[in-house]
Amino acid sequence: MLTAPFFRKGLDIMQKRMISVSAQRRKEAYFFILPAFVYILLVMGYPMVYNAVLSLKNMNVKNLKSGASVFIGFQNYAELFGNETFLLVLKNTFVFTIACLIFQFTIGFAFALFFKQNFPLSGIIRGMILISYMMPMAVTGLLGKNIFMNDGLVNNLLKRIGIIGPEWLTNTTSSLPAVIIMNCWVGIPFNMLLLISGLTSISNDVYESAMIDGANWGQRFFLITLPLMKSAIFAVLMLGFIYTFRAFDLMYIMTKGGPLNSTDVLGTYSYMFSFTQFQFSKGAATAMVLFACLFVVGMFYLHLLGKEEE
Amino acid sequence: MDTLMSRKKRILCSVIAVLIAFLFLFPIYWLVQLSFKPDMEAFGRVLTYYPHTFTFAPWMENLDDPVFMTSLRNSFINAFLTMSITLVLGVPAAYGMGRYKVRGSRLFLLTFLISQMLPASLTLTPLYLIFNGVGLLGKHVTSPIAIAASAIPFAIVTLRPFFRSVPVTLDEAARLDGCGPLRAFFSVMVPAVKTGIITIVVISFLNGWNDLVYSMTFNVGADMRPLTANIYKFQSAYGTKWNCIMAYGTILVLPVVILFIFMQKYIVGGLTAGAVKE
Repeated sequence: MLTAPFFRKGLDIMQKRMISVSAQRRKEAYFFILPAFVYILLVMGYPMVYNAVLSLKNMNVKNLKSGASVFIGFQNYAELFGNETFLLVLKNTFVFTIACLIFQFTIGFAFALFFKQNFPLSGIIRGMILISYMMPMAVTGLLGKNIFMNDGLVNNLLKRIGIIGPEWLTNTTSSLPAVIIMNCWVGIPFNMLLLISGLTSISNDVYESAMIDGANWGQRFFLITLPLMKSAIFAVLMLGFIYTFRAFDLMYIMTKGGPLNSTDVLGTYSYMFSFTQFQFSKGAATAMVLFACLFVVGMFYLHLLGKEEE
Repeated sequence: MDTLMSRKKRILCSVIAVLIAFLFLFPIYWLVQLSFKPDMEAFGRVLTYYPHTFTFAPWMENLDDPVFMTSLRNSFINAFLTMSITLVLGVPAAYGMGRYKVRGSRLFLLTFLISQMLPASLTLTPLYLIFNGVGLLGKHVTSPIAIAASAIPFAIVTLRPFFRSVPVTLDEAARLDGCGPLRAFFSVMVPAVKTGIITIVVISFLNGWNDLVYSMTFNVGADMRPLTANIYKFQSAYGTKWNCIMAYGTILVLPVVILFIFMQKYIVGGLTAGAVKE
C-alpha cells in the first residue's frame, strides 16, 4: 500500500516543537519502537542482504538441498546482460513505467484540477473512482484479459466507431499497450488523489489576488499552480515510478509476460527464474537489477523528503 | 480555486463528472454483469452489454465448490493475520516515533521509509528459501509475515503524525494519575488516534486480502491458497466460462467494495495521510 509522507508536511510542522522527555521516558520509546524495527530488519533487511549474496552464487533447485552452491562472482549479471530476452524485459519495464507515468500523471492532474472545484458531485465521484485503485490487481488482470480479447469489449466498442482493433493480447506489438491501459485505470485515480491534496494546500487568496490583477486561466495555471506544486509533482512522479516499476500482479494474471516476453517486466522475469525454472540465483540477480533502478529514484525521493522535514 | 461557481458551470461540471465516473466504473460493471450471464450468453458469438437472461448459476458453481470455499476462508485468514501483525507491531512503533525524540529516530524513520518502497520481488526468493529452511512454507501465517513487513512501515508513517497531534497534556495527565507507559498508551493514546487506527485496520486488511505474489509462492498446496493466488487454478478449470471466472472475480472484489463504501473516509484519509486537515 502506498503513502506519501511528503503530504503530511502541514501536520508535522505543527508538531515541530519538541516533546521534552526524561531519560526514563527515552527507554520507553525503544520499548515501543524496537519490536517493529527488529521485525523489519528480520523480514526485509536480512532477506535483502541474502538476495544480494544469492545473486553472486549459482543456487538452483538441484543444489538447494545439498548446499553445494558456490560463489560465481558476477557471472549471473554477465549472463543476464548478454541475454537478449533480458534486455527486452528491461526495456519493457522502462517503457511500461514511463508510459504509465505520462498518462497517469497528466490525466490524474487534469482530474485533480477538475475535481478540486466545488460542485455538487465532486466529492462523491472523486471517491468513487478510487475503487479501481483499491481492488486486487489480480482481478484487474482478469478484467483486462477479458475486455481485450479478440472479440471482447474493447474491440466491440472500436468496431462501433468503425475501427478494427488489433488482436490485443496475442500480438507482440499491442500487448504492452493493453497492459499499460489497464494499469492507468488504477494509477489515474491515485495520482489524482495525491495531486488534489497538493492543490488544496495552495491558499485561495493567491488565486483571488491573481484574478483581481486580471490573470487568465492559463496564467494562473502556469504562474501559480505549477510553481507552487513543484515539489508535490516531483513527489508524485517519483512515488509513481517506484510503485509502477515493480509491477508484477497485473502482467502475471493478464498475460503471464507473453506473448513472446512482450509484456515481461523485471518483476515477472525474476519470478519466472526463481519459481518456474527454480534458478534462485538468476532470479535474485534480476531482482537486484530491479532494485538498483529503484534505488536511484528512491534516493532522490528520500532526499526530497529530507528537505521537506527540515 | 473557484469557490463561487455559476449555476450553469456547476451543472456542466456535474455532467462531466458523471461521464468520468461512468467511464471509470464501467469495467467493474462489466465484471459484475458477466457473472450473471448463462453460459450460452457469456461465450456466445454476439457480445451483449447486459445479461439478457439473468442467472445465479456462475455464482453457485463457485460457491458449491469446496476448493473455492477453502480459498475464500484462506483469504480471510490472510487478511486477518496481516492486520493483526501490523497492528501489534505498527501502532506502538508509530506512538514511539511520534511522541519521543530519541537517539536513532532518524535511522528508524529512514529504515521504515525505505522498506516501504522495496519491491516484493527483492525479498521473494530469499524469503522463500528462508521459510523453506525453517519449515514455514505452507503455513497460514507465512504470507502475512511477509505482507506485514510492508504494511507495518505504512502504518508507522501514517499514524506517526496522528500521535504527534494529540496534546501532550493528555498523556501527561494520565502519567500524573499513576498510569504506566503501557496503560497510558492503551487507555489514553490509542483511543485518541482512533481515526488513524481504523485507517490502518482497513488498509492492512486489504493488503492481506489483495496479496497475490507472496500467497502463491509460500503456499505450496492449492488448499492453502487464498482466492487471489488460486485464480489460475480456477481459470484452467473453467476454461472459457467467463461468467464463472467473473463471478469468482466479483466475489473477490466484494469485500473491497463493501469496506470502501463504509470506510471511504478512512481509506482516503490514510492514502493522503493527513494532507487535508480536518
